[in-house]
Amino acid sequence: MTADRPSQVARTRAGEPATLLEAVAEALWEEMERDDRVFLIGEDIGAYGGAFKVTQGFLDRFGPTRVVDAPISEGGFTGAAAGAAHMGLRPVVEMQFMDFVSPAYDVLTNYVATSLYRGAGPLPMVVRGPVGGGGRGGPFHSQNVEMAFFHTPGLKIVYPSNPRDAKGLLKSAIRDDGPVVFEEHKGLYRAPRCRELLPREDYAIPLGQARKALDGDDVTIVAYGLMVHHCLAAAAELAKEGTRAEVLDLRTLLPLDEEAIAQSVRKTGKLLVVHEDTRTGGIAGEIAMRVNERAFEWLDGPILRVTAIDSPVPYSGALEDYFLPSVADVVAAARYLVEY
Amino acid sequence: MEDEPRALEEPRAEDEAGAVEDVLYRIFQARFLEDKVRELARAGRLSRDWYGFQVDARTTVVASAMRPRSDGRGDACFPGPASPGPSLAFGATSLEFLRWAGRRGTSPAAARAGGASWTDLRRGLFGWSGGRGIMTQVLAGAALAFARGSENRAALVFEDRRAIETGAWHEGTSVATAARAPLIVVLVSTGAEPVADGRSGRGRSNLRDVARGHGVPLVDLGAATCRELWRAAAEARALAAAGRGPVLGELPAPALGRPCCDSGQLASWAERAGLPHRRVRTLEGTARTEVEQAASRLELEPAPRPLAALAGVTAGVAPLPPWTRRHPPDPRSRRPLDAVELSPAGASGASEDVLHVGRAPN
Repeated sequence: MTADRPSQVARTRAGEPATLLEAVAEALWEEMERDDRVFLIGEDIGAYGGAFKVTQGFLDRFGPTRVVDAPISEGGFTGAAAGAAHMGLRPVVEMQFMDFVSPAYDVLTNYVATSLYRGAGPLPMVVRGPVGGGGRGGPFHSQNVEMAFFHTPGLKIVYPSNPRDAKGLLKSAIRDDGPVVFEEHKGLYRAPRCRELLPREDYAIPLGQARKALDGDDVTIVAYGLMVHHCLAAAAELAKEGTRAEVLDLRTLLPLDEEAIAQSVRKTGKLLVVHEDTRTGGIAGEIAMRVNERAFEWLDGPILRVTAIDSPVPYSGALEDYFLPSVADVVAAARYLVEY
Repeated sequence: MEDEPRALEEPRAEDEAGAVEDVLYRIFQARFLEDKVRELARAGRLSRDWYGFQVDARTTVVASAMRPRSDGRGDACFPGPASPGPSLAFGATSLEFLRWAGRRGTSPAAARAGGASWTDLRRGLFGWSGGRGIMTQVLAGAALAFARGSENRAALVFEDRRAIETGAWHEGTSVATAARAPLIVVLVSTGAEPVADGRSGRGRSNLRDVARGHGVPLVDLGAATCRELWRAAAEARALAAAGRGPVLGELPAPALGRPCCDSGQLASWAERAGLPHRRVRTLEGTARTEVEQAASRLELEPAPRPLAALAGVTAGVAPLPPWTRRHPPDPRSRRPLDAVELSPAGASGASEDVLHVGRAPN
């Protein structure tokens, strides 16, 4: 804790690089300072500071009316956030682990997502939390939940891959007039390789715009979250063989920046989609269909995907490693495509 | 979420006098709407679901004890299964109710909702959505917002009594309790709930136990008269708004032969409040006229246009993007016949659709 800020929200001000977790915390802190309608609600986020300490020290600064420790009732406090949003507030709901969002699925899909449609007006709220495997958390603390909501009109889904995007996208999500599901990969929270200096000035990154993480013209690799780093590592391997892969970081899954994908495919003629979520019903299927609609004749090979296998996330380390997509998997699939 | 609860506000005599006139008008309005809806259903102009439509006047009375406003600063209300009674108390007009019942959808939002939602947040009206208990969660959030601003506002939610069998309801109540949010939950009993088995203790749960479990007060809304009901509801509101947290109330199934809020009781309450009989007749006449005019107007309103109704709600992309082709085919240029191989089907006289195009010679 510095003079006026907890350490996890003081990095940028001190001119130090921030992790993704710190970027998320800075975004929350700055938005709460900027707009007193913004408040946080979730389990153990106040006195305890959150399961991952994202909100440590927030209670002291903002008080219990803006950092609300909720009962263990994900549906209850997500519904309550919706009601508070109707009354002009801008709630940010924290799921301790995004796996626990399932009890709130009813209110999120039936009430929150349909609000604008039903004439109940805009409903500005964010539901955020940690996702993803690799931490040996087993099936209930490691899931990716994006596709549970992807099929629901009325929601936006954001999944950043780096601290800069996380901070800018979270600010946009909080300022957005509609509900946003915001996923943060635990494997990136404190990853040293992800530390970066963030702009000192206030900035926001628009939702719905993909980012070209690496320029190339032999194959397009589309990914998001932690998988962007796998794909960049794979691209470095492929570069040794003379293959120039283009890596596209989706950043926002809903709305999907299909124009960015189509443009890249028109350039490379080859498409590989990589996601950590399980295979069946994963976003790769939707992306393949959109490319089929918009850039079919530019394709010079089949659309491939590298994903987790269709299984609950295993608890055993050896099984989890087998379950998750690896850099080697991405290299192999990209190589196959380039040689096709 | 204040540290110390505020002092309770007792219902004042002048509040009650003002309320009687409003309550009377709304109950007249509800009864004429009831007649009109049944008439329209019999004539085939409304769905047959409306044949047996009844308004529980008691819900109108309970909602009238709140403090609705039309500027977004009053109490909030989810009318629940007893709609439209509470909605009328929160300023919904007869025309709005008939549009809802008739699924007319004369505004884009109403058209999209298919008549299922009746929302006007400036008036504090929350539209229907989701299963039992969900709206207790949502109104708990509205109440939480009121508590945060230390506003003298409360959120009222009507739920089917069976909501207490759901996890959603308990979660919503739990959140409201933790935040000491000014939420009033009225559980409306139909009398059709499973009844308790005296010997095994199974069946219908005891609301007193439920309230005790959540640590919230239970207010008896099973009053014998309209006036007593209004006062009980006003006390429930005062409890909630004073920072005591949520309040539960049960509206029991109407007792046969002992109607609450019938004409005799209303007349007696009006007399007690000093409302002249002539004024009561005027209120009744005005309510009748409003309902009749609303019904005539309903017939004249045009149906919504789908594109206008869905504008701004879709994801912003055309439902079917234009198909793309790198080299659009030119219908004037046909491939030479020697570039085409006939398939067995083609050889037997099938159409060109089944011809297989071979590689053109270099």
